[in-house]
Amino acid sequence: MAYSDKVLDHYQNPRNVGSLDKNAPDVGTGIVGAPECGDVMKLQIKVDDQGRIVDAKFKTYGCGSAIASSSLATEWLKGTTVDAAAQIKNTQIVEELSLPPVKIHCSVLAEDAIKAAIEDWRKKRSAQATPPEGHA
Amino acid sequence: MLHIPAPDPFTVFGLPHSLDLDERTLEQRYLKLSRDCHTDLNRASDAVDCVAVLQRAAEINDAWKVLRDPWQRARALIELRSPGAMERNKRLDAAVLAAALELAEEVAFAGAAELPRLRERLQQALAADFVTVRAAITRGDIDDAARRWHSSHYHKKALADLEAKS
Repeated sequence: MAYSDKVLDHYQNPRNVGSLDKNAPDVGTGIVGAPECGDVMKLQIKVDDQGRIVDAKFKTYGCGSAIASSSLATEWLKGTTVDAAAQIKNTQIVEELSLPPVKIHCSVLAEDAIKAAIEDWRKKRSAQATPPEGHA
Repeated sequence: MLHIPAPDPFTVFGLPHSLDLDERTLEQRYLKLSRDCHTDLNRASDAVDCVAVLQRAAEINDAWKVLRDPWQRARALIELRSPGAMERNKRLDAAVLAAALELAEEVAFAGAAELPRLRERLQQALAADFVTVRAAITRGDIDDAARRWHSSHYHKKALADLEAKS
């Protein structure tokens, strides 16, 4: 199977590899996996007070397409808003990277990782907004 | 989704649906079934008979592939006890996935001197995984067995990566 030039580019020069502090209140972490192929994808976003994603990092254990999908996702996430990020669809990743049908699940994993990171960040934010109960 | 053919591998071998099969019995059964198939093929009088015997031979070989490997045997048993369990339980805990990611990094960055110790650790982890899969099947928690089976895949993959390095 031939990888597209864009996949190879992201695979050889992955953007935004690394980690953010998963315990920071402004960081959302999504970690998802596809056990059949043994892929794991960790994607993190750092969000400012206006709901804008100021930084995004990823670590992926998997094939070239999985790495490229998550690398591309972090590029798209940086500078966008959380609400816009939540609209990203795996089909956009498939199109941008020209992924073949057998690699579509890699883009699905990336979409799941984005959604999981956003959910984690939202959970943290609503926990901050509501003061702990039991201190009447 | 894993497709369990009918008749299932255990039935093909005339064995109970059990994880703990004696390897020797299994092999002897395979050899006997294969021999019988050859005899039947020689006796087959027409094309219809021939096709039936060959189909039976294929069933035996497929069942053998599953039964001889304890992990494949466990997987087949999980699907037989609760069809769709493997597919239903693919979503793993974040903690399991985070550990898998760390393990993959550890293998990737390990120097040659560290490989034997790491290999031993992974082999022990896999053996422990199998014990937990068996325990879950035994107590009838098939969903848990499926989840643990999937989690173990990351140990298998890490071990394969390690062997590819050395």
